[in-house]
Amino acid sequence: MRKTWFNRFLPWIIPIIILVVWQVVAALEIVTPSLFPSPLSVLVSGWQLTVSGELFTHVGASLSRAVIGMLIGGLIGFALGIMNGLSDTSYRLSDTTIQMIRNIPHLALLPLVIVWLGIDESAKIFLVVLGVLFPIYVNTFHGIRNVDPGLVEMGRMYKLKGWKLFKAVLLPGALPSIFVGVRYALGVMWLTLIVAETIPTEQGIGYLATNAREFMQTDIIILSIIIYALLGKLADLIAQFGENRALKWNASYNKEL
Amino acid sequence: MEQAVKIDMIDGSKSFGEKNVLKKINLTIEKGQFVAIIGKSGSGKSTLLRLVADLENLTSGELLFNNTPLKESKVNITMMYQDSRLLPWKKIIDNVGLGLDGQWKDKAAGVLDSVGLLGYKDEWPSTLSGGQKQRVALARALIHEPSLLMLDEPLSALDAFTRLEMQNLIEEIWQNNGFTALLVTHDVREAIRLADRIVLIEEGQIAMDIVIDAPRPRHFSENNLALLEEQVLERIMYGEVQERMKKIK
Repeated sequence: MRKTWFNRFLPWIIPIIILVVWQVVAALEIVTPSLFPSPLSVLVSGWQLTVSGELFTHVGASLSRAVIGMLIGGLIGFALGIMNGLSDTSYRLSDTTIQMIRNIPHLALLPLVIVWLGIDESAKIFLVVLGVLFPIYVNTFHGIRNVDPGLVEMGRMYKLKGWKLFKAVLLPGALPSIFVGVRYALGVMWLTLIVAETIPTEQGIGYLATNAREFMQTDIIILSIIIYALLGKLADLIAQFGENRALKWNASYNKEL
Repeated sequence: MEQAVKIDMIDGSKSFGEKNVLKKINLTIEKGQFVAIIGKSGSGKSTLLRLVADLENLTSGELLFNNTPLKESKVNITMMYQDSRLLPWKKIIDNVGLGLDGQWKDKAAGVLDSVGLLGYKDEWPSTLSGGQKQRVALARALIHEPSLLMLDEPLSALDAFTRLEMQNLIEEIWQNNGFTALLVTHDVREAIRLADRIVLIEEGQIAMDIVIDAPRPRHFSENNLALLEEQVLERIMYGEVQERMKKIK
């Protein structure tokens, strides 16, 4: 019992130490507070933005871009991965092209995207779609290809064909790998969003940070960074939860994390 | 239970590229017979099994089930592999019911009971021992009421005690259900314990075909079975000695 309590507390020790040191250093005012705000003042401005409702507008705007981009990119990547995993013809037709596009750093497309799509939502979502598509594609593809052929043969012997074989054998076999792709894609999603939100906009965490820079509000810049970190962690936790539920048959997922 | 199947292979040959794995095999297996196929690794015995299981196609020759070509016959074949091949993401009972439609849960529970694992029906396969997994694989093969049960070295990965238990179980189930059984094994003793007939495959050809009519259950101290085991082993090894002699010359 004490052991589990200790284990739960363990990951938080380092963040707490960092916070304390930060607060102490800021309180000493070695650097002027407007450049190096204390955690307390970040908390206060966070509270003010929450009360005024601004924070929700911005977080909501960023979240909706993230979710829409992730859904579209994830579905495309998943569909392509399944298709190329199942069909050699489809693989030969499209994999080379996909790999070529994958090797372009998608953030390098930013100027082109602005020129083509303008500076509205579609440009930002497009970048997120492009960012998350490939990790999900690659991992879905490899997941399907690496399903134990012995299990597939066994499934065929027991009259599983087409959709039934896919549902009973191929998809569950590929799922661990697909989840790796999803969790990786979530990281790319936030990274892309941070860059994409430097495209002029009037809502979103990126706007909050850019705007704060204009007025030298260092505390709000730091707040924006922390919000990105928290959202990233939250997304990962949700993915992990889904993973644990979907893969509870797998002994290596059975232990409490 | 569906009627057991009679198998005829007529001049059956199989080659992979240049390599002739099976050469003009002629083999008839009667309805309900328990046949063991033995032979060294690479002799072609597993290929023979995979051909009969419709997992491979003959390069030339014919394969008949109840006098109809294999592809046209609607014979129910199931198989036990060396590894259990249970789907790790399905509970035991769902593994047994794999590929079934409609109300199969009661039937699956019944079959699980017959292999002594009803208490495990809601467990994940990863929690079972190797022997228990093979019992589940056997249950999964039996629920389809096969006319032909293929056994591809199903016991070779088990410990000696579990193997004896499983041999008894397989014999009992075969006697109760009357399907045709085809067992591929390395273990001569296992073949003698279980089979009505032992077929030795060497270099893609039938090198020996003997009938064992000793009463069941079989004990090695009776009916000269231990002597038979020694003779069969000698026959297998003698071939190898000949091969070596040839190479020395």
